[in-house]
Amino acid sequence: MNIEKVKKRVLSVILDLVISVYFIGCIAYLANEWAGLSVDLLYVVIVGVLVAVVQNITGYSIGCWGYGFSAEGKKPWMHTFWGWFLVVLIITTFVVGWIIVQVNPYKFFMKFQNAGTIVNGIFSPNLGILSECLAALAETIYLALLATVFAIPLAFVLSFFAARNLMPHTLLGNTVYLIIRTIATIFRSIEAVVWAIIFSVWVGIGPYAGMLALMVHSIAALTKLYSEQIENIDHGTVEAIQATGATTLQTWVYAVVPQIVSPFLAFTIYRWDINVRMATIVGFVGGGGIGLLLLQQQQMLRWHNVGIIIWLIAAVVWTMDIISAKVREKLQNS
Amino acid sequence: MKSIIQTTNLHKTYDSGTHALKGINLTIHEGEFIILLGLSGSGKSTLLRCLNRLIEPSSGDVTILDQDVVNANPAQLRRIRRQIGMIFQQFNLIKNLSSLTNVLSGKLGYVSLWHALAFNHQKDDVAEAMANLNRVGLSEFARKKTKNLSGGQQQRVAIARALMQHPKMIFADEPVASLDPATADSVMKYLGVLNHEENMTVVCSLHFLSLARKYGTRVIALKGGKIVFDGSPQEIDEARFQSIYGEDAEEVEIR
Ligand SMILES: Nc1ncnc2c1ncn2[C@@H]1O[C@H](COP(=O)(O)OP(=O)(O)OP(=O)(O)O)[C@@H](O)[C@H]1O
Ligand SMILES: [Mg+2]
Repeated sequence: MNIEKVKKRVLSVILDLVISVYFIGCIAYLANEWAGLSVDLLYVVIVGVLVAVVQNITGYSIGCWGYGFSAEGKKPWMHTFWGWFLVVLIITTFVVGWIIVQVNPYKFFMKFQNAGTIVNGIFSPNLGILSECLAALAETIYLALLATVFAIPLAFVLSFFAARNLMPHTLLGNTVYLIIRTIATIFRSIEAVVWAIIFSVWVGIGPYAGMLALMVHSIAALTKLYSEQIENIDHGTVEAIQATGATTLQTWVYAVVPQIVSPFLAFTIYRWDINVRMATIVGFVGGGGIGLLLLQQQQMLRWHNVGIIIWLIAAVVWTMDIISAKVREKLQNS
Repeated sequence: MKSIIQTTNLHKTYDSGTHALKGINLTIHEGEFIILLGLSGSGKSTLLRCLNRLIEPSSGDVTILDQDVVNANPAQLRRIRRQIGMIFQQFNLIKNLSSLTNVLSGKLGYVSLWHALAFNHQKDDVAEAMANLNRVGLSEFARKKTKNLSGGQQQRVAIARALMQHPKMIFADEPVASLDPATADSVMKYLGVLNHEENMTVVCSLHFLSLARKYGTRVIALKGGKIVFDGSPQEIDEARFQSIYGEDAEEVEIR
């Protein structure tokens, strides 16, 4: 009981600290933008912490409200300090965002003619470089395919060890589960583009770097998807197979695998679809293929060449989309 | 009569804190047809699963066929388990696979790892599986996926799967609770036949007194994780039944 209360109080203080430091930071940013007043980061933090502490102690804060310590009880938000503070916070965030992103509707509507060159390129693509483009495109498609194919067996095996319901609740079981889950989560949160930068330095610019990048990201992503699927299986079947005297591995093969094949296939095809898209982007940062070609042509301002590349990418993505939707539909109905 | 299952002071407390079994002392003899009675939540499923350690007991001892179950290592445990056929309320078949493959999975405790992994079944095993399917009257359904079978048929496939183990005993956890009365009786009949003709020991949880009287040789009733009655089915009159199932139970559950 008491522990619960202390935990809530601590969380409310943390929330207030974050909000308050952020809010003072926004004010300081606006003061700098509008009045040229530059404020040291240290002061922002000090003032923010002070404001948060005062707010939290008196009970007039968002954190206190969120965790049920508000001094203002259950009054409707229009009659409370935290309510208006929240409104000011949202407006401030919007204003600061507008300035940082340099939003400028005038440019959007009045400078359209600047896009003329590229639009012109798209509508009169240079078919002369078609064969070169197709070669680059083949690189992209194959690298996406290999990345997916190599990722499948690794993710498949890992996913069993990352499934809560299959790992015994022993020290070893919990450790294996936690390590695989954590690594998969970290690797997945690193974008494929970042992996491509790493591998383009490691093995050199080209499709191989792109393949490795997509593979690592796919292993992590598929491990998570697969293992969640395993956690959803019917446990009764597992029990029944265990009861026959089957070993753990036999139980996985007989009770788990038949239940997960078709969702696994669906996820895998979906992943290949994503990988084909990502393969283009990865090309931009050293992963080879059509993305690299696009980057080169764009930098040389050859808009008619860019045009043909854009059409080809669109065609591939569109085709993949249709195929993957069809296959997944088939799997669902089988 | 030879004792085949023994428990001493068996306790189970789940991680959630529920104390589901509170000191079960039980001796079951070869050839008995035991009916487990008790309200929902009284611990019937927990008891059955603690006997072959599908659920780990918290304390106490279990002896099956003169072997210490609680302290058995994984290999020993598998050898004990394969002598116990198990049948469940939800059938627990592999729904995407054929009846034949499901029945063959009953042999997993005997076959080598690689044969099992490759789904490469010995000719003898396939013939035996077909014979067992025939025995439960389902030979023409061998190639059919079990998800397309009716509940009663699925439960018979499950019985055929158990028979593949050449079990010394059968544990059945509410095997007929999802079936209509006529189908229920036909499924119970198969268990009755195994009990009579092959002297197979059966431990079966049920909610129906009529089935208990028809098939059981002994009734064990649980309430709140303790044994509150242990005797012959005929001894259970209305008063006994109410003391097991509570005052309001009447005969609602009796068929
Ligand atoms: N996996 C579990 N985790 C925590 N508590 C559980 C678990 N399984 C069962 N219990 C609890 O243990 C007690 C006994 O449950 P059990 O399933 O053995 O009863 P039962 O007699 O089989 O009931 P039913 O007739 O509904 O099948 C119940 O209070 C139940 O809530
Ligand atoms: Mg139960």
